[in-house]
Amino acid sequence: MSASEAWIAAGTFTGVAFVIAAGTLIAAALLRVRARKHSEARTRTYECGEEPDGGAWVRFHPRYYLVALVFVIFDVEAVFLLPWAVSLRSVGAVALWSMLAFLAILLLGWVYAVKKGALRWV
Amino acid sequence: MSVPPSHIFLLAALLFAIGAAGFFLRRNVIVVLMCIELMLNAANLTFLAASRMHTLAHGARPDLQGPIFAIFVIVIAAVEAAVGLALVIALYRNKQTVSLDDVADLKD
Amino acid sequence: MQPLLIDLSIAALALLVFVADLLMPSEEKRGLGHLASAGLVLILLLTFVLDMQGDAFGGAYVLDPLALWFKRVFLLAGALAALIALDPAEQAFARRQGEYYLLLLLSLLGMSILSSARELLLIVVSFELMSLPLYVLTAFTKSSKLSGEGALKFYLVGATSLAITLFGLSLVFGATGTTMLPEIAANAGAIRSPLLVLGVLTTLAGLAFKIGAVPFHMWVPDTYEGAATPFVGFLAVAPKAAGFALLVRLYLVAFAPLSVRFQPALLALCVLTLVVGNVLALTQTNIKRLLAYSGIAQIGYMMVGLLAQTGEGVGMLLFYLAAYLFTNVGAFAVVCAVGAASGSDDIRAYRGLSRRNPALALAMLVFLLSLGGIPFVAGFWAKMGIFIAAWHAGLHWLVLLGAGLAVVGVYYYLRIARSLYLDDPEEGAQPITIGAPLRLALIVCGTAVVLIGIWPRPWFDTALDAAKSFLH
Repeated sequence: MSASEAWIAAGTFTGVAFVIAAGTLIAAALLRVRARKHSEARTRTYECGEEPDGGAWVRFHPRYYLVALVFVIFDVEAVFLLPWAVSLRSVGAVALWSMLAFLAILLLGWVYAVKKGALRWV
Repeated sequence: MSVPPSHIFLLAALLFAIGAAGFFLRRNVIVVLMCIELMLNAANLTFLAASRMHTLAHGARPDLQGPIFAIFVIVIAAVEAAVGLALVIALYRNKQTVSLDDVADLKD
Repeated sequence: MQPLLIDLSIAALALLVFVADLLMPSEEKRGLGHLASAGLVLILLLTFVLDMQGDAFGGAYVLDPLALWFKRVFLLAGALAALIALDPAEQAFARRQGEYYLLLLLSLLGMSILSSARELLLIVVSFELMSLPLYVLTAFTKSSKLSGEGALKFYLVGATSLAITLFGLSLVFGATGTTMLPEIAANAGAIRSPLLVLGVLTTLAGLAFKIGAVPFHMWVPDTYEGAATPFVGFLAVAPKAAGFALLVRLYLVAFAPLSVRFQPALLALCVLTLVVGNVLALTQTNIKRLLAYSGIAQIGYMMVGLLAQTGEGVGMLLFYLAAYLFTNVGAFAVVCAVGAASGSDDIRAYRGLSRRNPALALAMLVFLLSLGGIPFVAGFWAKMGIFIAAWHAGLHWLVLLGAGLAVVGVYYYLRIARSLYLDDPEEGAQPITIGAPLRLALIVCGTAVVLIGIWPRPWFDTALDAAKSFLH
């Protein structure tokens, strides 16, 4: 693909993205069921009928933070696992044992998290 | 596709500048943390662009040092963010604030 | 495998402490401190018994005399830090002691690998392994507001310095196309890319943050004041030493062909650090802040050794680090004892210390004399060696400036030393008693400072050999 073709492809892609986004908005505006200007239904959070319960500005409990933290650790671990899995065959046994050692240490961390109650949802 | 590496370098430099400016100007700790992430990602982008540049220059095999570096930096950034947020939470428990202007008990 | 033995032992010790912490009932955690401290001493002895030199991972990791010197400094600092923390940890956070020693060991592992790293990725990862536990350790006394604030400032500066360093290194990688330091050194001379110069200078700015060189020093006094005192002695010595290990490997070896380009920046940093550190120390009334500014000034003297760019300069830098280790860890151990007894870090608490605990006052006197560079304690030879090396390298005016500022330094150190003996204690001050671990640490540091002062020859020789093994 030459340089100009590449730009055309990128431009087309952007254009299509805009058309789809704008199209849905316009379609929604044309097709919506019109409610009376000052009805109570219009001021509701969810127009689909779900009753909201309490305010939207609530505090999140730190336990979310703890769980998110543990999640992040195991999430980024996968970043290493993928290239490792792809190249395992060509690198050989060293790669296998290194990764097992790495996972063993991570496992220790997980045991620690469990033991300290970081994963208990009280 | 042929976005030249020099453009990516420029983009990375711009990202880094935005991050650095934010770090010095913003007073909300969370935003400052985001600015640091921005700077780290600018470094990532430079690594990738550099790798691409070397691949284009030497041709035969793709240069993988840059991507590998970027993967490690992603992990480092995640771990750092975790520690940073923990510190912010500890601070919030003591002071009920996340603004750097209110964190000034220590000075000459 | 052989060259990795020291780092593997530290890692094994860290894991041992970690597992023991998980299995132990929470009342007996004190043993972990003993384990960490004794383990580090054992590994330190191991470095003298076995000959493990060589490289690993295709040259990315090397155990040369330089790395060995740094590793010994780290091990010693770690062992002393664990020892000093034994009693305070028991009082302040008895149930979380395991984590304290684990983090200390992990940070130590990072430093130890960093001193051996000759590849950019290994450098970055070990650098983070060193830094992250330090942020957490600074915030370890959760109930203290100052501790959290000091840790946050430390973290923000540290994280930014990492980002700046990484950006610089990415430019270096872009210009040279390799992450191996020996290859960078071989190629750097021939490359005319502005990217390389930009990268080298950006990296320098990032590292200057880390070692606390002026104008990147703002976090140092705040962090020292906020952090728990038993930990500050370690924080003041080990990470700084690791920073210098990295500076030596990067700027005296890998980027050496570019020295014309970064020399002026390094020189400016050095002069600023010397002047600002010494002058601001004059006005401090809090002992931890005073030692922080004095520490900044000491960093300046070490940078003089770096600027000489000779084997002799690096050798004297290594010697300075060893002297600085004993002096600073010892001084902070005294601060720890006085702070625990009087609940204050104000320098007024040191009035008449000789009447509250003569031995403690004597130890403080020795450390202050060493910090001031008075003959014949360790600090004197350290400054002397640095100045002589810089003089040989032709930095005459820098040596004169440094010597002049050293005199300023003597003033603020001796002001405290005088009040230790000549002033009356504050009213109602009780005699101070100190526990056995702290006493042991003080005896080790004090003896070392005096011994190096009386007989510096073997230390000089080993340091010079280590430096000349890779730089001529």
